[in-house]
Amino acid sequence: MPARLFLEVVDPWVNWDWLSKHIPLVLDALQQHVALSAIAVIAGLAIALPIGVAAHRWRAVRGPALAAFGILYTIPSIALFAALVPYTGLTFVTAEIGLISYTLLILARNVVVGLEAVPPDVLDAADGMGYRPLARLLRIELPLALPAIIAGVRVATVTTIGLVTITAVIGEGGLGQLILKGLIESFHTPLVVATALSILLALVADLVLAGAQRLAVPWSRGA
Amino acid sequence: MNPTLSSRWLLSTLTALLVAAMACGGTTPGTTTQLPPITIAGFNFPESSILAQVYGQALAHSGITVSYKLNLGTREVLVPAMKSGQVDLYPGYAASDLEFYNNKKGEATGDSAATTAKLNTYLQPLGLIALTPSAAVDQNAFAVTKDFATKNNLTKISDLAPLAGQLVLGAGPECPTRPYCLPGLQSVYGLHFKDFKALDTDGPATRAAFKSGAIQVGLVFSSDGDLNQLGLVVLQDDKHLEAADNVVPILRSAVANDEVKGILNNIDAKLTTADLVTMNQQVSLLHQDADAVATAYLQKHNYFS
Repeated sequence: MPARLFLEVVDPWVNWDWLSKHIPLVLDALQQHVALSAIAVIAGLAIALPIGVAAHRWRAVRGPALAAFGILYTIPSIALFAALVPYTGLTFVTAEIGLISYTLLILARNVVVGLEAVPPDVLDAADGMGYRPLARLLRIELPLALPAIIAGVRVATVTTIGLVTITAVIGEGGLGQLILKGLIESFHTPLVVATALSILLALVADLVLAGAQRLAVPWSRGA
Repeated sequence: MNPTLSSRWLLSTLTALLVAAMACGGTTPGTTTQLPPITIAGFNFPESSILAQVYGQALAHSGITVSYKLNLGTREVLVPAMKSGQVDLYPGYAASDLEFYNNKKGEATGDSAATTAKLNTYLQPLGLIALTPSAAVDQNAFAVTKDFATKNNLTKISDLAPLAGQLVLGAGPECPTRPYCLPGLQSVYGLHFKDFKALDTDGPATRAAFKSGAIQVGLVFSSDGDLNQLGLVVLQDDKHLEAADNVVPILRSAVANDEVKGILNNIDAKLTTADLVTMNQQVSLLHQDADAVATAYLQKHNYFS
């Protein structure tokens, strides 16, 4: 057997030459990743907040709503995408429907938990001061529930940033596209760079939200 | 009204509204020009991206607006998108696609033309069509080292007949029970190997066994990018044991006008398995971009002149 039959290819963790030529590719993926995550959490909150309030107000809503979100949460993503593709295609929309579905349980639960934790004597005082239900909700209950709600948003955001990568199977995925490329080609660079950026993005988002919480709810430093 | 029911109603209405709102924003109306735009899909392996780019760049050169949806998971995701017109074209493989559309009836044979004709009988009711298959194949194949091939003057599987009794075959552990593997080599080619080693299907164990000399013949995929580098050659399947996984473009009949068919058939007529090996090597091992590799291929074969 000749000595040089097999060429051993050494693949460094980061091939800087490849990276320097593919900065736009990486930035595009990062930008798509941020957009997919941000829209999922914002739209998820827009859905979860009213439903969470309803679930708090009417006990009968609470079980079914949380159960429905729980079921959505357990649907395997590949199955969800395969079911959606005939209707919404290989698009941003399909990716978002999946991602939003997965935020609902976390967000709605935290809205309910936050509202439940408002002390009854505070509510009595508000009623005594003549607050109508809607004003009481907006000016007393939601502000007091804010630490729990923001905590839910933080968990949902960090989870979503990790989950976005799975939407690569329908051609979206942000940094997931690069991770997939690295896996398919046994190529470390896109894998390492995309994974590092995804983790970094999650950390930055969490820090930003923690800062926002300090500004919005200065009275609760502990949450 | 029962509050449980009303909450469910609220939920489903909200969901429906959301889906409707997003669907309105997301779809673009189709245009009715002479050359409709074409969206090309590809699977999540380098060869599929390369072929999608080769087809796409050739079509774009003729003035067709081309967009890409690459690295998609599986046919289970891709085919619904084809049926509903969200993608128009993908690089298929005659036998694998036939066995997907016929729900694994086992109708694929080693004859690429017959396999594609059969495939078209399943595609037609779906509004899809497979064009003329290329000579380029990505299928199970049996390889030997270049030195061994030269020494024993081997080019096709039937050349192994006088030697088989002294040779060891390596393949995945399922090989002794699969018609395309050990039983087929025995019944179709009359090859009775000295021994069989259960390794992996075209993975690192097979490569290591070639390297150490533990096997002389091994199962690989015919278009693997590392065959050249490993010093392996594929033996020609001269008796058509393997199902014909020839590259064949599958497209929606709605976009399959004569110009598009002409461009794609012209590419497939010239594409060879050796071209696939070379391009796969450039992407998988040298980490060049699939679009650049496709451009270089098309330039080299004068498609842009």
